[in-house]
Amino acid sequence: MEGLDLLKKEWNKESNFRKITETEIYKMIHKKSSSIVKWIFIISVLEILFWLGINFLTVDDNYLKMVKSYHLSSFVMIATVIHYIVLIVFIVIFYNNSRKISNTSSTKKLMKNILNVRKVVKYYVWYNIALVFISMSVFMTNMLQYDPNITTIFNKASASGEETGLWVGLIISFIVMTLLMIGLLWLFYRVIYGILLRRLHKNYRELKKMEI
Amino acid sequence: MENKTEQEFIKQIQQHQNLIHKICRIYTSCEDDHNDLFQEITIQLWKAYPRFRGDAKFTTWAYRVALNTAITLFRKKTKGINTIEIDSNIHRINIDEYNYEEEEQLRVMYRAIHQLGDIDKALVFMYLEDKDYREISETLGISEVNARVKMNRVKTKLKQIINP
Repeated sequence: MEGLDLLKKEWNKESNFRKITETEIYKMIHKKSSSIVKWIFIISVLEILFWLGINFLTVDDNYLKMVKSYHLSSFVMIATVIHYIVLIVFIVIFYNNSRKISNTSSTKKLMKNILNVRKVVKYYVWYNIALVFISMSVFMTNMLQYDPNITTIFNKASASGEETGLWVGLIISFIVMTLLMIGLLWLFYRVIYGILLRRLHKNYRELKKMEI
Repeated sequence: MENKTEQEFIKQIQQHQNLIHKICRIYTSCEDDHNDLFQEITIQLWKAYPRFRGDAKFTTWAYRVALNTAITLFRKKTKGINTIEIDSNIHRINIDEYNYEEEEQLRVMYRAIHQLGDIDKALVFMYLEDKDYREISETLGISEVNARVKMNRVKTKLKQIINP
C-alpha cells in the first residue's frame, strides 16, 4: 500500500492531536476574526470615508466665493445632489453585498461574493475619479473664462505673443495632475488589495477554469 | 438563551475537534499556523452557527465552513514549509505499532500535499474523508464531472511530486 491510500488508512486512526478544551474553545469564539473579509470591509469603509472627507474638506467659504465668481453655482448644486444620490445607492449595494457573505454557501459562491464586494468598491472609486476629472475640467474651463488673475495673465501673454506656450503649459499640467492622481490610486489598489486578494483570485480562477 | 446556544456550540466543537484538526493538518505545515487556522475556523463556525439548521449533520455543515475558511478567508502568517514540525507531528503517530517504512511514506505524503494549491488540498481532504463526488461538487460549487476530473488530476499531481 502506498501514497494516498496508505494515508487514507491512517487518516481515521489518528487521534494524536492536542486536545482542545472547552475553555479554550470559549476563549477562541470571543476573539476577533482575522479573516480577509473583515480587512476588505474595513479598508472599503475607510476608502468611502476618505472620499467623503475630501469632499467636506474642500468646501469652505473661499471655495464657495470662487464657485460664484466662476458662474458655477448651479453646476455645483446639481452635481452635489447627484453625487449624494449616487453615494447612497453605492452604500446600499455595498451593505447588501457584504451581508451576503455567509460562510455556508459553496466555496465558489463565497469567493464570488467576496470579489463582488471588492468590485463595488472599485466602481465607487472609478466613479470618484470620473467625478474629479469632470469637475476639474469644468472648473478649468470656467476659470479660464472668468478668473480676473488668469485674464490678466492671458492679456500679458498675448501682448508678448506667448499665448500658445501658455496654453500648452496649462494643458500639460492638467494632464500630468490627472495622470498622477489615477496613478496613485492604481498603486494603492495594487498594494492593498493585491496582497489581500491575490490568493483568492488565484483560487477563484482555478475553480472557474474547471467549469469551461 | 444566548448562553445555552454558546454552550451547545462549544460542546459540538469539542466533540468534533478532530475534524478541524485534520483540515489544519492538510492546510498548514507548522504548529503556529495550525493553531491560528484552528482558531479562525472556530470563529467562522461560531459566526455561521445561527444559520446552521438541524436538517444537516453538524459535521457535514462544519467541514464545509471549515474548508471555506481555509481556502478563502485564512491568511497564513508564516511563509514557506517548515518540515521539522511536520516530522515531529508524525512522530507521534502509532507509537505502539511502529512501522518505520510506513511512517516515512506518510511524512513524504504530507510534504507533497503541502505543496498543492488550496483547491487541490480541499480535494485531498474530501478524498481522505471518503466524501462522494456529489458532495465534493456541492461543496466546491462545481459539477460532478469536473470534480471527478479534478480529483484524478490531483492524484496524478501528487504522484509527480513524490516521484518526479
